[in-house]
Amino acid sequence: MNLFSTLANREKVEKLRNLDVFRDLTFKETLEVDELLHERVYEKGEIVFEEGDMGHGIFVVVSGKVRVDPSQELLKSTVLEFGPGEMLGELSLFEEAPRFATVAAVERTVMVALLRAEFSSLLTKNTKIGVKILVRLSSTMSRRVRNLLLGQRITPSL
Amino acid sequence: MVLTILITCSVLFLFQKIILLVVPGLLALMIYYCLRPLVDRLVLRGVRHEIAVTATVAVVLVITIGIFLRTAPLLLTRAAQLQNTAGHYLSGGQNLLRKTIDVLEEAAPVLKRASLGKQVDLQIKDYTDQFAKRHLGTVVLELLKWLPSLFLVPYLTYFLLMDSTRLKKFLIRSIPNAFFEKSLLLFSRLDDSLRSFFQGLVLLTFLDTICLAAGLFALGVSPAFVLGLAAAILSWIPYLGSAIGCIMVVLVAASDFPDHPSIAYSCLALFLLVRLLDDFVFLPLTIGRKLHIHPLLSVLMFFLGATVAGGTGLVLALPVLGVVSVVGEIVAQVVMDRRLRSRYRAARLLATTRSQPGTPSQPVPNVSLTREA
Repeated sequence: MNLFSTLANREKVEKLRNLDVFRDLTFKETLEVDELLHERVYEKGEIVFEEGDMGHGIFVVVSGKVRVDPSQELLKSTVLEFGPGEMLGELSLFEEAPRFATVAAVERTVMVALLRAEFSSLLTKNTKIGVKILVRLSSTMSRRVRNLLLGQRITPSL
Repeated sequence: MVLTILITCSVLFLFQKIILLVVPGLLALMIYYCLRPLVDRLVLRGVRHEIAVTATVAVVLVITIGIFLRTAPLLLTRAAQLQNTAGHYLSGGQNLLRKTIDVLEEAAPVLKRASLGKQVDLQIKDYTDQFAKRHLGTVVLELLKWLPSLFLVPYLTYFLLMDSTRLKKFLIRSIPNAFFEKSLLLFSRLDDSLRSFFQGLVLLTFLDTICLAAGLFALGVSPAFVLGLAAAILSWIPYLGSAIGCIMVVLVAASDFPDHPSIAYSCLALFLLVRLLDDFVFLPLTIGRKLHIHPLLSVLMFFLGATVAGGTGLVLALPVLGVVSVVGEIVAQVVMDRRLRSRYRAARLLATTRSQPGTPSQPVPNVSLTREA
C-alpha cells in the first residue's frame, strides 16, 4: 500500500515539477503544494474564466491547450494560445481584480488552480515554498511585460 | 427567509435523529478551530504536519485525562450524594423564593389576599418532593448515554486536523467547473467565519468564566471557578443557557447562605452585569456580530425548533439557523449568477455532445457567444 502511494506521489510530483511555476520545489515541497492545488478538466470549448470575472487565483495548464480572447487592443497582438506549463490569471494572485480576457479550452485540457487565499496561507506557513513560487511567478510576469512592451507576440499576463 | 426557516426545521428534525453524532461533531469542530493555530505554528517551525497533529492531539488528550483523573474521585463522591445535593439546592431555592414572596406580599397586600405565597409553596413542594424520584434517574441515565459518543470527539478532532485540506479538495472536486472558482472562494470565507466564530466563542467563554468566578469569589460563593465555567459554557445555548446558568448559581448561593438572601440577589445582579458586559464589550471584541438574526425570528425559531425536534431543536435552533443562512447565501450567490449558470449549461452541452458516439468534432465556439445576454 505504501509502495503504491509512494509511486503515485512520485508520478504526481514529477507531473507538477514539469510545470515552470513549481520547477524549483523539492519533492516534499511539491507534495505540500499539491495539497492546495485543485485539478480541473475542461472539455473542448469549455470556458475557464470570462473577461470581467473577479479573479481569485491562478490556473496552470498541465496538458492540453487553451485559447485567450481579449477585448483590449493591446492584448490582441499577443499569442492567443497557452500550452502545458503556462499559467493564466497570475495577477489575481496579488489583487482581487476583474480578468482581462476570456479563456476557453481548445482541446480537452487539464489544469491546476491555486486560490489566492490558499497561497496566502502557504506564504505564512512555509515561506520557503512561497518565495520559490513567487520568484517563478515574477520572472514569468516580467518576461511577459517586457515582451508586451517590445511588441513581441507572447502570452500576456491575465 | 421562509425557505431558510423550512430548511432549518428540516435540519433540526434530522439532527434530533442523529444527536449523538451531531454534538460530538460540533465539539470536534470547535476544538479543531482552536487547535489549528497550534498545529500551524508547529508546521511553521519545520515539524511535519502528521507529527504536529499527533503531538498536539496527544498533549491535549493527556491534559484532559489528567484533569479528569484528578477530579474523578471528587465527582464520584458528589454523584453518590446527588439525590441529597439536588434536594439541598432545591430547598435553598425554595427558601429564597419564599422570602422574596414574603417581601412582595408585605409591599403589596393584594398578593397576600390572593394567597400567592401558599400557592407557589404548594406547587414547588410537590415538584421538589418528587424531583429526585421523577427526574434524577433519567438525568443520570442521559448523561451516561452521552459518554460513548463523547469519546468520538478526540477521534473526529484528529481526523479534521489531519485531513481537512483533503476533505475540502474532495468536496470541491464535485463542483462543476463553472461554479468552481467562486465556490472555492466562498468556501474559504466560510472557513474563515467558522474559525473566527469558534475561536471567539472559546475566548468569550474564558472572559465570562474569569468575570463570573471573580464576582462569585468576591461574594464568597464557592466553588467560584467551577460555577463560573459551568455558567459560561451553558451560555453557549442562546438565552436559555444563560437563564439556566443564572438559576444554578442563584440556587447555590441561596442554599449556602440561607440567612443572607442578599447574596443570592447579588449573584443575580452579577449575572446581569456580566451579560451586559458580554453584549456590549466582549461579544463585539471576540465573535463580533456577524450573524444578524432578528430577536423576533430568534424567538420564533425557539418555538419551531422545540416543536419539530424537542430539546435538541431548542438548543440548536439558533446555531443551525445561522449556518443555514450563511450557506444559503453562498449557494444563492453561486447558483443565481446568470453568467455562471449559462457557462454551466454550455459546459453540459459540450459534455453531452462529446459523450455521444459518432459526433463529428465540433469547432471551438466563440467563447463570448456563450455569455448570457
